[in-house]
Amino acid sequence: MADLVGVFAASHGPIIARDWETMPTGHRNKLAAGFDEIGRRLKACRPDLLVVISPDHWVNFFISNLPAVCIGIGEEHDGPPEPFMKKVFPHQRLKGHAAFGRHLLETALDGDFEPALSHRLKLDHGTCIPLWRIGVDIQLPIVPLIVNDLEEPMPSIRRCLAWGRLLRRAIESYPEPLRIAVLGTGGLSHSIGESTMGWIDEEFDHNCIKHFEDGQEERLAAFLTHALPRTGNGAHEIRDWVIAHAAAGSKGFELIDYFPSPETLVGAGFASWTVGK
Amino acid sequence: MTDYWLSKLFFDLQHDGKLAAEFRSDMAAVIGRYEIKPEIRKALLEDDVGTIAPRVNAYLLRFYFQIRGMPESEFMARLHALQQRKEAAHG
Repeated sequence: MADLVGVFAASHGPIIARDWETMPTGHRNKLAAGFDEIGRRLKACRPDLLVVISPDHWVNFFISNLPAVCIGIGEEHDGPPEPFMKKVFPHQRLKGHAAFGRHLLETALDGDFEPALSHRLKLDHGTCIPLWRIGVDIQLPIVPLIVNDLEEPMPSIRRCLAWGRLLRRAIESYPEPLRIAVLGTGGLSHSIGESTMGWIDEEFDHNCIKHFEDGQEERLAAFLTHALPRTGNGAHEIRDWVIAHAAAGSKGFELIDYFPSPETLVGAGFASWTVGK
Repeated sequence: MTDYWLSKLFFDLQHDGKLAAEFRSDMAAVIGRYEIKPEIRKALLEDDVGTIAPRVNAYLLRFYFQIRGMPESEFMARLHALQQRKEAAHG
């Protein structure tokens, strides 16, 4: 059977890639430290594959066909198509893991979840900024779990918790002895392309962190269900952290760092979960 | 209310470098290929963020104004002006 060996979460944002070399050194160092620590912990887990939970920034999907959740079950995926990503993460192809992707899909369907599937996804900056900055081995197979965090209506927080539990069940029922890690990307608060653009809602962010630390799923769901419509639209990506959190059993959250990053327009968060049985 | 054809134009511009280049040299011609309503066409030609913003996903809106070459600081200033108008309207 496979084992869940590590669960992590990190922010992303196009400016991290676009302005990496030109942003103030002190700020770059703070961002780098958060990503580096995740990279160090991930490497220590010795994963055989990484499930990355991320939104799609209008790269694979459009409003003509927009899945709530899509699992990448292909042998490989395309690297990021955004021009600003090509200089920092020039990989055109990333390895997938078709067998685990298929197993996750079948486990979902068997559990009365109906995700979309894709045999080839384009993995945009949401996935690839964290992969780039944590220095992931490019040979490490990736199974993308794409969640609609961008266009309302979106999956409920309660459903995201259920997705996390389902992901855990799929990992633990996979018949091969793989070491599997999970990375949720996005958040914390930010506001993009709306009249509050640039707003970082620190109160929201600190409350999120507190609820992850407390580990009470119902309270986390109640808080986010109430708070998400009242903060910046980028905070919806917290769904990816929620799925990671539930995959970890909704316990063992450890904040690596949090700070508002007006330079990159995000509340920058870095976290890992202690994975217990 | 989401405007499908406006969204489609923005989506296509993001994905098709050639179309984006054509758009930069002749906006009206590219807009003419989509079922864009006259008032939205006017808003596009005038970079009227306030009219466009409520009709399209906010991330697509940001991509669009990057393609238009509007500096992000100016884009944000225009969005913030909308917020100030909203707040003024609510007293």
